[in-house]
Amino acid sequence: MNIKESDRGWQSGMAKSITFIVTKDCQLACKYCYLVGKNTKERMSWEVAKQAIDYILDREEEFREESVIWDFIGGEPFLEIDLIDKICDYLKTEMYRRNHHWFNSYRFSFSTNGINYHTEKVQRFIEKNRNHLSIGITIDGTQRKHDLNRIWKTPEMEQGIAPKPEEERGSYKDVVKNIPLWLEQFPGASTKVTISSADIPYIKESVLHLYSLGIKEVNINCVFEDVWKDGDDKLFEEQLTELADAIIDGRLYEDHACSFFMEHIGKPMDRERDNQNWCGAGMMLAVDAAGMFYPCTRFAQYSLRSKPAWIIGNIHDGIDKNKLRPFLTLDRCTQSNEECINCEVASGCAWCQGENFDAADTHTVYQRSTAICKMHKARVRANNYYWNKLFRKLELQEYEEQKRKSNHPACEL
Amino acid sequence: MLQYLIILLDEASVPYCHSLNPTPSPMGEPRLIPLDTLRAGIVFAMKENLNIQFVYPTRSLPDEYEAAIESIDHTKIKPEVLSGEADVLVLTGWETAKAEELDGATCILHTSRSELQKHLAKVQELLSRVARLNVVLTDIEEFKDEDADAYSQMLDALSDCLIEQFRQGRMVQLNLLTDRLLLTEMNNCGAGDTNVTLAPNGKFYLCPAFYHEDANQSVGDLTTGLNIKNKQLLRLDHAPICRHCDAYQCRRCIWMNGRLTLDANTPSHQQCVIAHLERNASRSLMQKMQAEGIRMRDARPIDEINYLDPFNNYKQWK
Amino acid sequence: MEIRKVVGQVTPEERAEIQALFERKNGLTELAKIVSADNTELYEKLVKDMGETGTKFQQWWDTKSKKYGWESHPKGNWEINFETCEITLVAQE
Repeated sequence: MNIKESDRGWQSGMAKSITFIVTKDCQLACKYCYLVGKNTKERMSWEVAKQAIDYILDREEEFREESVIWDFIGGEPFLEIDLIDKICDYLKTEMYRRNHHWFNSYRFSFSTNGINYHTEKVQRFIEKNRNHLSIGITIDGTQRKHDLNRIWKTPEMEQGIAPKPEEERGSYKDVVKNIPLWLEQFPGASTKVTISSADIPYIKESVLHLYSLGIKEVNINCVFEDVWKDGDDKLFEEQLTELADAIIDGRLYEDHACSFFMEHIGKPMDRERDNQNWCGAGMMLAVDAAGMFYPCTRFAQYSLRSKPAWIIGNIHDGIDKNKLRPFLTLDRCTQSNEECINCEVASGCAWCQGENFDAADTHTVYQRSTAICKMHKARVRANNYYWNKLFRKLELQEYEEQKRKSNHPACEL
Repeated sequence: MLQYLIILLDEASVPYCHSLNPTPSPMGEPRLIPLDTLRAGIVFAMKENLNIQFVYPTRSLPDEYEAAIESIDHTKIKPEVLSGEADVLVLTGWETAKAEELDGATCILHTSRSELQKHLAKVQELLSRVARLNVVLTDIEEFKDEDADAYSQMLDALSDCLIEQFRQGRMVQLNLLTDRLLLTEMNNCGAGDTNVTLAPNGKFYLCPAFYHEDANQSVGDLTTGLNIKNKQLLRLDHAPICRHCDAYQCRRCIWMNGRLTLDANTPSHQQCVIAHLERNASRSLMQKMQAEGIRMRDARPIDEINYLDPFNNYKQWK
Repeated sequence: MEIRKVVGQVTPEERAEIQALFERKNGLTELAKIVSADNTELYEKLVKDMGETGTKFQQWWDTKSKKYGWESHPKGNWEINFETCEITLVAQE
């Protein structure tokens, strides 16, 4: 059977992810963005970046992971390309000079809005680090879907004034122009699509549009926040079912992947055997412009609506391991309610530890948010449809093939 | 299941656990719980079938308060400087504690490790008189791994003090060492799970420490009732490290958990190591008792283990 | 026209050896772009390392091609798929 599988990611499960929040600024003001505290002021200085690097590389015995992903996030990370370039040069030099084991296994990773991708500085950086880069450009689908949420920031927005709908300016055209260059440089690249309530009607056309742009892998997920309206799950299921038909009928499954459709999701999970945590928070490390360390970027203040930042240390005093213990002992059942534990379609139902914390009734990472429940169930129904239809098609094809082969001698008679 | 209601009779009720010192009243003098609130608290406990523990301040209470208190079966936790009948006496100072007046008493002693070390002779004196001594360490947060040997040695010295009493037939209890001998399962603080605290402001708190730290952390009041969110996270079965642990005597202080690990169901490294040093010292005490032919009724053997922080074994349990 | 043909497979341990060398070789190449000869100590270490790593890298291919007897082509080279451990002959016709 020829079905493209989703890429599991470089050194999946074996790499430490270390994130530099280089800026909290972005050219865009996406409506679904969870970063509630974006601003133009908090830009990382070289001194802070260097101290963070020295702190981490000085402690090789504490960071034993085989590989490392040096991740750069914003806001929009490429707004700080000069700093990033300096950081990466320093990282390469220091990992090598110290004979650090990560020199043999590292990547620089970026999630960008793609607007500055073509600029000379970014291109020079790419050329310089070509073999160690993982760059994801976020393009949300068709122009109407993309521009629905991913709009340019206006100066008034910084004063808290929302633009009128007619004044909103989408960013699709500014991003799509850079897609061919990106795909030429990273042919296997995937994009990340985010779905909120208003996007649901455009899911099918958007995934197919991204495929038509040459993007073979679309990682797509519903936001974890509690934004879903009555009927969203029905509409979502319809969109995914139509998308399933389009992918199967057009044989797109052979060389394209869409993360909504995964063979092994939607099954009950065993309390003992399937008790691992979903999210990697705590295994990762994030550092911001103030030199504060977090279990992941979602625990920095600019990501949190209603909770104080979960700071686990800083570049001067180091990491307080006590504050990581709740993350490192997390399991599925302890943080889930009985309905989730006994759910018939539990597998593949994701959660974000940061959103769980933000939405929790108390200061804890042990209360799983269930806002996504009905969307997961809708996804499972469409996913079941997808695999039943696809396997039946492939089965029939194989049957026809066998029949043709077995009939062949008779035809010759 | 909720079993106890702790009623703080005064803003300056004596601290008897890992709590902060009571916050000074903004009005100056600490205030007593209003009599109406006290009575309403007693009625609440009666309706919910809760045993009440009254926590006294260092000053005497007006007669009508004592009358209200006596209207219900209860336990009194009093500072030892206060005269009168008490179930538990809190020793408020090394100098003021008079061992000769504490025959057969159950006492609580707040102390840092260094003070305890300095006053071992006094502890020995106390152990010769009291029925039970609860030592509450006030400096768990400051504990460092390099302090482990010193703490073990002090526990060993305390163990010798106990043996001396046992030889004389006095089966005195010292929480740090004898509780683990008798327990077959976790017996922790139970804040918000088996007990809840009523403060003088008429509001409920998980324990006195939450009230003293920030009075905005209430979990309900006498008018609207209890409202403990994420109650399950205060239970042992929702504490991933503790539910596997056999340092049964550990306080598992959920207030300190919140301060040090930021999550109520997760103990700090310090708390785990201290509890395991005590656990292991209890094991040594039992060996000493066996060597001397001393038997304690219901005491059970304790296995040898090779870790001090169960967090380090967590992956195996997972 | 490019021809691609799977001609063999190595063990996961052998794959790990060449993957580590490949990563190191790439790391050294990109490091070489930013280390100048002024930085004598690091520069000399790098030059020596590049030579040694390049040699080990080539030795791996020589040893393994001999061990497994992979099909070759005068205008071709072998590639390894780190996921599957498969060796592919890539040649120009």
